[in-house]
Amino acid sequence: MSTPLLEVEDLTTTFSTAKGALTAVDGIDFAVAEGETVCIVGESGSGKTVATESVTRIVKEPPGRVEGSVRFKGRDLLEMSEPELREIRGYEIAHIFQNPQEAMNHCYTVGWQIVEALQIHRDVADETARAKAIDLMDRVGIANASSRFDDYPHEFSGGQKQRVMIAMALVGDPDLLIADEPTTALDVTVQAQILRLLEDLQAEFDMGILFVTHDLGVVAEIADRIVVMYAGNVMERGDVLDIFERPAHPYTQRLLNCLPEIGGRKGGIPGTLPDPLDPPDGCRFAPRCEHAVDACVTGDQPAEIEVNPGQRASCVHYRPGRDDSVVRDGIPDADADGEGVSSADD
Amino acid sequence: MGFGKYVGARVLWAVVVSLIITTITFLLLAAAPNPAIREAATQAALQGGDPSAAVERERELRGLNQPLYVRYADFIRSVYTLDWGWSESRSQPVTEALLQALYYTAQYSIPWTVLTITVGPLVGVYSAANMYSWRDHVATGFAFFGYAIPNFFFGIILLLIFGVWFEVVPISYDTSVPVFSVQNVRQLILPVFVLVTGSIGATMRVSRNESAEFQNSEFMKTAKAKGVSPLRSYAYHVMRPTLVPLSTTLVGQLLALFIGSSLLVEVVFGIPGLGRLTFNALLSQDTNLVLGSTLVFTFIAVVGNLLEDLVFTVLDPRINYDDR
Repeated sequence: MSTPLLEVEDLTTTFSTAKGALTAVDGIDFAVAEGETVCIVGESGSGKTVATESVTRIVKEPPGRVEGSVRFKGRDLLEMSEPELREIRGYEIAHIFQNPQEAMNHCYTVGWQIVEALQIHRDVADETARAKAIDLMDRVGIANASSRFDDYPHEFSGGQKQRVMIAMALVGDPDLLIADEPTTALDVTVQAQILRLLEDLQAEFDMGILFVTHDLGVVAEIADRIVVMYAGNVMERGDVLDIFERPAHPYTQRLLNCLPEIGGRKGGIPGTLPDPLDPPDGCRFAPRCEHAVDACVTGDQPAEIEVNPGQRASCVHYRPGRDDSVVRDGIPDADADGEGVSSADD
Repeated sequence: MGFGKYVGARVLWAVVVSLIITTITFLLLAAAPNPAIREAATQAALQGGDPSAAVERERELRGLNQPLYVRYADFIRSVYTLDWGWSESRSQPVTEALLQALYYTAQYSIPWTVLTITVGPLVGVYSAANMYSWRDHVATGFAFFGYAIPNFFFGIILLLIFGVWFEVVPISYDTSVPVFSVQNVRQLILPVFVLVTGSIGATMRVSRNESAEFQNSEFMKTAKAKGVSPLRSYAYHVMRPTLVPLSTTLVGQLLALFIGSSLLVEVVFGIPGLGRLTFNALLSQDTNLVLGSTLVFTFIAVVGNLLEDLVFTVLDPRINYDDR
């Protein structure tokens, strides 16, 4: 791992709701190096989107509240004022989102919206900005970019809109691109094109990419490193190959098991995500884990332990003096299905 | 079909609509007894003459013995050549009377309309941005107050308070003051205020509710991620899409108020405008003048709706003006 571009420590995002404080992200750490792709993986509701939106604090505050530290190129983003943050947003750190259909304002041309992203950061003449926007549209693969500059978003297909969003993200030659499920809403053939485009642009612009997805197929394609999130906590992290070949945390094992070609078995994980308003003690995954023991259900989420070089898991079974053979390198057996909840009382 | 053709088609349609309305007006008029003829008959009878001969003479004089289609052609031609006849009650041409009245109506209508369409959306979007705060509640309360209280009643109360008790505004309207003068502002401030409170509520509510949807939209998140400041994102990314649904309700609301309330407000404040002119013409059975003011209101409504259609198309690029 080279110099970290983004270092997130103890990031906690809570939302005040009518029913009390909801902890969406519960003190997580992760880092993205220059030119590296880090994937945050997890099922829906695990807090991965909120985590990435907390980096540049585009989560709504209030009701949201972001704490911890987010160091970007040596500066803590969470200690910056709003105007300082605005200079970084969209220029040094750019976002693309899940739903390109909704992500652009339907009242303005795509060209206007790309130029806006540029001109709020730099005092660029209209003609220059237009030329730059057309160049970017061209680079993200929009045919006849100069004639499409004045078209409205509804005149573009979903994949093209995502390309425009990417062009918009590139106006400042960003060091970090945060991509929140950018291919989820697109159909499969377009997905592959967009992923390839992102990979090409990453090499061209030397960007770090923080990629959020629940699609493990996409992860295998694009990730250098993986952060597995569950219920606002990090369960496991490591290089993509290590995690795919030797998943250490029972949750990761279960998650990978959902991939038909790896587990050979289709099916989900029994149980549901814990209530974020009242998370369980101990490991958040314990209520659904077939390997859960007493130590799993007390205290806080277990500290991460290095299970292999560069791979760490938040699981009590890897604590020194414990026998980790029950979980190590394990893909759960097919007959262990459905026993997760009851065995938690062992 | 391009935008130019669409505009052309809309204008043409507006002309057709106004033609239909004038035709209906003509038919109603042709079916109704003419008071001038009854008058002639009464006159003849009083002077010992033959009422039916007098009626015949009068009909001939006014061209009423001509076939209906000839009279119709005459009528339509005179409508479009602005030859709207003589006002008996005011002893002047109808168009002249209408122009004089329009002069006074415009003096309060223009500031009122401008205030409603600028302040209304601004306050509405501000309300949405601070939804359920005390500011929002104050704005909402004001909107419902203006909405609920009858304009003429509110006008009387305000006149009583500021004209009679505090004596800060004149009680009677003075037509001799110059248009752009402090005195004119003082005598128009109450009618404008009354009309604004009556119309701004709807504008505020619509823009508040519409913009509430847009301020939580995905594209607002994109704007924030791009580094757009809150003020700019509200001005560009919320206000603009809000204007689209707003424009559809605005014109109708303003026209209804213009036609309905201007009369009451003019009577209360003694402004010799279109509303009062129409009212007096009705009372004195001045057919030509009633007809003239009906046509004025008709054309204002037709033009207003035409503008609404065009504005709507310009504001929302997703509207396809093909096949319309």
